[in-house]
Amino acid sequence: MNDLATLLVQQSINGVYLGCLYVMVALGLTLIYGVMNQINFAHADFVTVGAFTAFFVATRFATKVLGLGDAAAYLVSIFVALGAGAVLGLLVNALVFAPLRERGDELRPLIATIGISVLLENGQLALFGPIPFQFDSPFAKETIRFGRIFFTGQSVLVVVVSMLAIGALYAFMKFTFTGKALRAVSQDRETAGLMGINPDFLIGLTIVIASAMAGMAGALIGPVLVLTPFAGATVIVKAFAIVIIGGFGNIEGTILAGILVGIIEAFTVQYLGSGLIDLVVFVLLLVMLVVRPTGLIAERREENV
Amino acid sequence: MNIRPPPRRVAVALAVAALALIGSTSHAEDKVIRVGVLMPISGPASYFGVQGKQGIELALEQVNAGAGPAGYKLQVQYEDSACSPLQATNTVKRVLEQFKPHIIIGEECSDASLAIAPILEQAKVPLLNAGSSAVKLTESGYKYVFRIFPTADQQGTLLGRNAYEKLGARTAVLLYEKTNAGVDNADTFEKVFTAAGGKVLARIDFGRDVNDFTPIATRIAGLGKVDVLPTFGLEGQTVRLAQALAQARVVRGGGGTAIQMGSIWLPWGFEQKAGPSSEGYIRVVQFDPTERRKMVTDFNAAFRAKFGAAETPTHINAHAYDSVLLVAEAVRRGATDSESLRDRFSKMQGVEVTTGRISFDAKGQTSDLSVIHFVETQKDLSWKGMAW
Repeated sequence: MNDLATLLVQQSINGVYLGCLYVMVALGLTLIYGVMNQINFAHADFVTVGAFTAFFVATRFATKVLGLGDAAAYLVSIFVALGAGAVLGLLVNALVFAPLRERGDELRPLIATIGISVLLENGQLALFGPIPFQFDSPFAKETIRFGRIFFTGQSVLVVVVSMLAIGALYAFMKFTFTGKALRAVSQDRETAGLMGINPDFLIGLTIVIASAMAGMAGALIGPVLVLTPFAGATVIVKAFAIVIIGGFGNIEGTILAGILVGIIEAFTVQYLGSGLIDLVVFVLLLVMLVVRPTGLIAERREENV
Repeated sequence: MNIRPPPRRVAVALAVAALALIGSTSHAEDKVIRVGVLMPISGPASYFGVQGKQGIELALEQVNAGAGPAGYKLQVQYEDSACSPLQATNTVKRVLEQFKPHIIIGEECSDASLAIAPILEQAKVPLLNAGSSAVKLTESGYKYVFRIFPTADQQGTLLGRNAYEKLGARTAVLLYEKTNAGVDNADTFEKVFTAAGGKVLARIDFGRDVNDFTPIATRIAGLGKVDVLPTFGLEGQTVRLAQALAQARVVRGGGGTAIQMGSIWLPWGFEQKAGPSSEGYIRVVQFDPTERRKMVTDFNAAFRAKFGAAETPTHINAHAYDSVLLVAEAVRRGATDSESLRDRFSKMQGVEVTTGRISFDAKGQTSDLSVIHFVETQKDLSWKGMAW
């Protein structure tokens, strides 16, 4: 393979990996918007909670208490982070979103997400301090090489776990009764209620699923981030951009947009400079808002979520 | 019951005594030097604030022991300026209004320091800076700004010259964060390196929100033979950058040939975080805890006694500690207020602190390059001092 082809392949691999990380973060955002028509500004902090959970499980509990090896400990930590995200979602829904929903106010839950974000950031700051934690995945130390092309075991793990998570979410939405009911609620909450579907339960379930995915995303992205209580904030702006480019509430669009943004980012670094990444991504966002305001897969908007 | 008024003589005596008491109280209050400390206590640069506070607390214990310098006590108020120009500006205005400091120590980040310098200049309150490298801070004609941190010019000149002369480097790729300090460091290196005959193959900047550096490492791997990679970024990002460069087999730590070089941005312990990727990394350090100078060994011992036997002070601990020592030294030399602090600082030459010797030039910049030490990371991740 010549130099140019090597670069193209390598940056494409880098882009897909990066894209998968973004998709994992963005899916929870789009899911909540699709069902609740609400933006969750605390999503970044759910990701951070997942990253810290995975860090402490992988480096303390699973290795020192359970006696697992580094690789097994990290894999366990991904599931624990998923669970931690789910529990956090359950609590936030029960304590904040559900009571506010009962009042029928649309603005307060939005403001409440900002409050939850500040609370989680400062809570983690008080617990863990501001000095960055060094979260290294054992899979990141394994470099797989094919000639001059390389990727780490962590890249493979991220892509595989992302695919599995996306597949499971897709299957849940398309083929289970609860998934279909959830889609019904996203399309018309009142009519779904008339059909015997409990919208409150399903909205709660959506928050739990989205939070669980954020937790898992945190475990996967934690070894990439500079892990501080504010770590999630570094990816959330791009995740919002991806959700808008993909079409708010559109899962397929979000997946496509995430991968696209990852690849664009890698090639921007290669040919324009990494300092222009945000400029390129947000120009794309503005173009999408003007040309296709309903997102990449606009014609399927009625089937969102 | 009637209370008989005290005789007039007693009343006068009581009044005089009360006035004397008030006078002595106010005199005691005057024997305080108020030091406002602006540090990033929140946000991604907050490790500066945490470590800076440790250094300041330790120094305060020592200088305030007994009667204090020239009978004065240093009183410190910490404020979070978050490494942000906007927050630093708001914070310094509030501190000036409420705390009325005689001097401000801070900020660590150049952008924030540049934002507060004109405000303090107008208020005629000296700024003692220990962690910002942007050249403009002491090149803008401010009379109340003093800096004990080597500028980007001072560090970059030595880095560029040593890369060319000592390492025999002829090609370089500049890696730097998009901030005043990052750009200044990269510019200086490029100017010196290219003037000597070297060639800069690419300048790659990055924002503080960049997490994955593999695309950058891939790009560098495709640039051909690179001898040195001057890198100017915060610790967390530099760890990830070093690891990505090793995976792409660019740097020595990954089996490549390029040498990563850096300025005083990385605290002690960076090597342990970056692991084998950091092997061969050559950088400027402002403080070398392995130095055998008495000032350093005493500081190490006091630091360990206060914060734990396993702790090794970083350059952030050290330069924050030094800042307080310098304020105390100025007070010992007769400073009692903002104006006299400025005056004593401007006359300081060869004052020994943990990072080296401080001699302020006419612009308020320390001109003594003894605060610059070069070290190289070894295979076992220890430091080897370079005799440069």
